[in-house]
Amino acid sequence: MIRRYLSLLAVLAVLRAAGRLARVAAVAVLVVAAAPVSLVAAVAVTAAWRGGWPPRRLYRAALACLPMVAVWLIAVAATTRSARQAAAAPYQAWLASWHQVAAGSVALAAVLIAPAAIPLGLAVAGVAWSRRIYTMETGTGGLFPTSPAAFRARQWRHQVRTARARIAAPGSVPLLSRHGDVVAGAVIRADGHRAAGVATVPYQRLRSHQVVIGTTGTGKTTLLLRLWAGFCARGLQLHAAGAGRRPLLVVLDCKGGADSRRVADRVRRVLRGAGARSTAIWPDEASLSLWDLPPDRLTSTLLDMIEHGTGAAAYYADVMDAVVALAVGAPGGPPASAADFLARLDAGWLGLAYAAPGHEDEAALLRSAGRQVTDIALRFRTLLRRLGPGLDGPGGYADADVWYCILEGTADVAVAEAQARALVDLLAWHATHGPGADREILLAVDEFSAVSRRLPIWQLYERARSLGLAVQVSAQSWQGLAPDDDDRYRLAATADGGIWLLRTPHPEPVTALAGDQPALDTSRRLLGVPRWGREGSSRVREAPVADPALIRALDVGQAAYIYRGGVTFVQVKRLVAGPAALAVVPARAAAPAPGAVAPGAADGPAGRATAAPAAPVPTAPRPAPLADVTALLDEAFGTEPH
Amino acid sequence: MNARTGKPGTAAASGHLTARDIAALLFVAEMYAVQLDQLAVVLGVTEHRARAVAAGWRRAGYAGSARIGPGRPWVWLTRAGLAACGLRYTAASPALSRLAHLRAVTSVRLALEATTGYAAAGAFWRPERRLRAKAGGRVGLREHIPDAEVHWPDGAAVAFAGECWAIEAELTRKTVARTAAIMHEILTRTGDYGCPAGQARVPGLAARHARVVYLCSPAALPTVARARAALGGAAGRVEIRGLPPGTDMTGRPAAPAAGPAALRAAGPAR
Repeated sequence: MIRRYLSLLAVLAVLRAAGRLARVAAVAVLVVAAAPVSLVAAVAVTAAWRGGWPPRRLYRAALACLPMVAVWLIAVAATTRSARQAAAAPYQAWLASWHQVAAGSVALAAVLIAPAAIPLGLAVAGVAWSRRIYTMETGTGGLFPTSPAAFRARQWRHQVRTARARIAAPGSVPLLSRHGDVVAGAVIRADGHRAAGVATVPYQRLRSHQVVIGTTGTGKTTLLLRLWAGFCARGLQLHAAGAGRRPLLVVLDCKGGADSRRVADRVRRVLRGAGARSTAIWPDEASLSLWDLPPDRLTSTLLDMIEHGTGAAAYYADVMDAVVALAVGAPGGPPASAADFLARLDAGWLGLAYAAPGHEDEAALLRSAGRQVTDIALRFRTLLRRLGPGLDGPGGYADADVWYCILEGTADVAVAEAQARALVDLLAWHATHGPGADREILLAVDEFSAVSRRLPIWQLYERARSLGLAVQVSAQSWQGLAPDDDDRYRLAATADGGIWLLRTPHPEPVTALAGDQPALDTSRRLLGVPRWGREGSSRVREAPVADPALIRALDVGQAAYIYRGGVTFVQVKRLVAGPAALAVVPARAAAPAPGAVAPGAADGPAGRATAAPAAPVPTAPRPAPLADVTALLDEAFGTEPH
Repeated sequence: MNARTGKPGTAAASGHLTARDIAALLFVAEMYAVQLDQLAVVLGVTEHRARAVAAGWRRAGYAGSARIGPGRPWVWLTRAGLAACGLRYTAASPALSRLAHLRAVTSVRLALEATTGYAAAGAFWRPERRLRAKAGGRVGLREHIPDAEVHWPDGAAVAFAGECWAIEAELTRKTVARTAAIMHEILTRTGDYGCPAGQARVPGLAARHARVVYLCSPAALPTVARARAALGGAAGRVEIRGLPPGTDMTGRPAAPAAGPAALRAAGPAR
């Protein structure tokens, strides 16, 4: 009995082995019989693995071959005048190729079978690659339980390599796509977004609120520059076509210092290549006039710029409000400069201004507040001195296409806070009442939380929303986005244009906003060390769409773009700037006469595929050597003294 | 000269101005104010005659004159004079603190205009007052405006045709850093004065001023020379000369090295 049972077991084992062998043999025969298709599939799967491609790319390649197949079949039908012959063409080609191989002509065999083998091979490769990815994602593939994790890490490296190769290819990543979308760089990986070679952001999204988070040295400035250049280039394109308003970019750099100046210079050079004719750097090279504000707005701005106490100090705040309103709203018109305003903060001046009949109420008010006028003047004199001449005019936001405002938020917080308040008030007025009503405005604020004590950032956000401005908030970390968690979540949750995450140590709050997606956890039975069986169990769990671990490990120049529950990992393409703004002029070399035009960037931000949208990029004049003027000057003034 | 008598200024009171009167009025308006000996050079008459001309302008309400500093009386245009010239400058008598500088700049202009090359090229002096007016009177607090620009028209018979020069008359010594900063600012400027702030210094665009000519007093000369040396490669675009003779408000020749044109310009009368 026992012998019979053991015999049965042996027979079953032999049958199983034979069946397995037969299956392998059948597959081998199929692979050999369809050798051309197998070869193409093997090459395609290898390429997909090395490039970290999604299976969709192989399917698309197969579909792209269909016209070739159609032409081939039509040619066969036309030459044989038989539809049946055309239908049998793949089989005939297969037979003919084998005959050619037997005859030793492998090249001719490849040519004969290529129209049928290539699309079929690509499709088979797509199926095989898709299955491989699926088994790895579900944890059922590979020899070891750790194989899926290793596969994912390896594929990430391959995808990064492919993306880097793409941005390195000249002209492959233009600033704007054919459809006018802003191209941020090459796609590394996309989850929940359409997978494409380059990562594009529609212009409309740049006109919505966006949040950018990334620590220093991760490529945040490079990304911001690209987005700003795209905004300017596309906005100017639309404006030139009569389909949009002229763009205005206002950047508030709230860090200050030498680093901000270097960035400002880079911004100017890069954006010039994108079509922005002029970039004003405030307060170093350009100024704005606070005194252009209408009297009521000017009064409230001046008061907001002064630090007020609470409790009993509120009384003095009211007195200050009254005195400032009297000075600004004097019958002669609002003050035209800081000096004019300070001259008005004088009891004598105000008394004369309101001495005429009809101003009895103001005169009475002045009598009540007269004793405090000197103190108020002292406070404003101190404030305006510390603010510097940057807000004392001349100039307005309409003067330039780009304003890069540097606030010394690190060195002098109190002054930077007052400046931020004034700049935002000026922009708000410009957007609603000034010439800015005809501009498409993007307000980009970097580390605004450093100066947002007087103007909470959510207030800026919502105010901008009501004014039709787009706001782009950038910070080095989640904590730097706003002073408290409520404000941070409010900012991140209302970022209609998406969130850009660069490497940051604490991405979880933001990745949570991208949502979760179902993922499969599979366990595998341990057979022995180190052997695992195929049996096990799976369960579905929710995993974040944007993997925080991946974001923590992002390299320089890599960013995750989170939008509508999906994430695209992007290798950002760096924009190449034009020559330095204040390059040293070679000895005895001068620029040509005024009115000459400027050099453009050799490989400008727009790349070769994107034309500058507004003014044509000027040609570079070569500085001519200066003519000798010694004779003329000697005649007029004598020889050069020593 | 009067249309009938051929003498300048005699008919000013009656409202008839000669071509030379008009040219001189424009000159005075552009230079803020001039001293009588310089007015004589502009009119091409003796100082005595220039005094009569100035008196005629004053009677007509076009000009004011007074002895407000050492040396000869000063002449400047009144509101009516400026209006008659079609200039929208703010009428004011010259500030005492600026008298020396105004005289120096006028001397420089006269010396330069007396050269053969200047007249042959048809060059054009664009004074500081015009530059400031172009800026709308709202010049930035740190923006430096040169004392004048000299434009050399394209196609003129000089090697430097098409260039624009900035002119700086330096009487007092500043710090080297400040002077170098001013030189740098002038040499890197791309936009005209009064242009939108963002266009004043656009990277890649040609510089507005091909060169800057410094006319220095002996006291200011070392500082200016050191500032030029600190510019590095751009130093080749800075020319330095001494102020022409007659810069001193008393009218005494001061500069030791003066060219013939300067001496001609400083001459009391022709």
